[in-house]
Amino acid sequence: MKTFSKYWSIFQITLINSLAYPGELVGRSLMIIPFMWIFYQLWKVTFSAAGADVIGGLTLRDTLWYLMLAETIELGRPPIARTMSDNVKDGSIAYILNKPYDFLLYQFSTAMGETIFRAMLNAVFGGLTVWWLVGAPNHPEGILIALPAIFGAWVLHFCINAMIGLSAFVVEDVSAFTWIYQKLAFIFGGMLIPLDFYPKWLQSLAKFLPFSSAIYGPARLFISPTYTFFISVMSLQLTWVLGLCILLVIVYRRGLAQLTVNGG
Amino acid sequence: MKETKFLLAIWKTNLLSAMEYRAAFLTQVIGMMVNNFIYFAIWIIFFDRFKDVRGWGVNDMYVTFGVLASAFGLVSLLFGNAFTLSDIIAKGRLDYYLSLPRPVLLHTVASRTIASGMGDFLYGFISYGLSGYFTWDGLARYVLATLLAATVFAAFLILTQSLAFWFGMMTNFSNLVLNAMLTFGIYPITLFDSYAKLILFTIIPAALMGAIPAEFIRAFTWSTLGELLLGAVGFLSLAILTFQAGLRRYESGSAIQVEV
Repeated sequence: MKTFSKYWSIFQITLINSLAYPGELVGRSLMIIPFMWIFYQLWKVTFSAAGADVIGGLTLRDTLWYLMLAETIELGRPPIARTMSDNVKDGSIAYILNKPYDFLLYQFSTAMGETIFRAMLNAVFGGLTVWWLVGAPNHPEGILIALPAIFGAWVLHFCINAMIGLSAFVVEDVSAFTWIYQKLAFIFGGMLIPLDFYPKWLQSLAKFLPFSSAIYGPARLFISPTYTFFISVMSLQLTWVLGLCILLVIVYRRGLAQLTVNGG
Repeated sequence: MKETKFLLAIWKTNLLSAMEYRAAFLTQVIGMMVNNFIYFAIWIIFFDRFKDVRGWGVNDMYVTFGVLASAFGLVSLLFGNAFTLSDIIAKGRLDYYLSLPRPVLLHTVASRTIASGMGDFLYGFISYGLSGYFTWDGLARYVLATLLAATVFAAFLILTQSLAFWFGMMTNFSNLVLNAMLTFGIYPITLFDSYAKLILFTIIPAALMGAIPAEFIRAFTWSTLGELLLGAVGFLSLAILTFQAGLRRYESGSAIQVEV
């Protein structure tokens, strides 16, 4: 319990810190507005050209609300890989390692502290824009059902990004890996196009990968909040979370064995 | 002539400096190209399913994405500080450039190279090559269109970031308009109605970085060339005038800055 309260305090401090510059927080979150507007233009024309009200089981309204949550998850998360890689490269990891807390749990607590308000504001601005463009979501209660999956998505993002960040133990620059990961998440996570619109073979592949658990699963759950779908999303997500957490700990321990900090 | 020599010397130094960490440089260049390939796959999936957007197909996207990537890459390579000009102004780091006998704006924006820009620049040519529109005279138009689109883009960055002379730190605003420019530039212009198009030619001139250069590359017309030239000259003049007007208001706290 004492261990948990330590990380809870780190989380709370970062959460409060994230409110220190409200202008910065709001300014960053406004970015979702042009994104949602352009998505609306694209899908309005696409639905109209297809002459269909429903494509892949989704209406235009479903598609826009799906994309709003997908963007919220993506835009809400902090640049964990860059932070961790900077810690490794500039040697500041040495100052974190000698503190009485676990490096990975410390990073996770700070990442979550930075995420909460960012995501909330993105959801507010994105939600208002989509509401204005296509009306209210069909299942507003879906957001509550999707919450555990949204949290799971951030844990997944953290595991993958932390592994990318820790690769700074062996490579000089991790930015290329972060770009590629982000784009893979765009495609296989269904961030710009819902996976339901993909060809069947690609859907099957994408839905199995961790990217879909990190974006598609929670966003789709928001617009289709059924019990069976919830179980299916959560069980796949849990499997990936467990697998990636184990892998992350192994990568971290191996990286630590190679770490050399010069000077101070 | 004197300034051209100066620019060439600065670019050479920047490139040599970036190449000093060869592995990191190559990782960034190749990584950016792979990144663009993966990103474009989304459009391939989209057009495979929906065929076209009001007459705009995947081949048009190849050209638009290509010219936008090349223009973006060119500005990153040659004028990397244009992306962070507002920070330089707000933090008083213009002092360094003001103390040297060279044009302040040119010296400031050209003093940094973003290595990944090389990946964007090269990727654009590959994208054009894959578009199905490739011809040798088209390639010449591609080069010209890239230069003009890059001018518009650099001018837009300088213009928006120079607002820091009046409003101080504006990192978020700069990121917002930069993202808007790139996002609107990549999407098919046929999506937008006439009001939105007016915005895309003026307030956020994304059309002059994506759709219009792409149209010019596909087929030469005097009107598209005229639009591009007018846009490039107009925005560049406006950007220089705004920067100069702002510079007259500039003041700093004489902080000690180290330019590496």
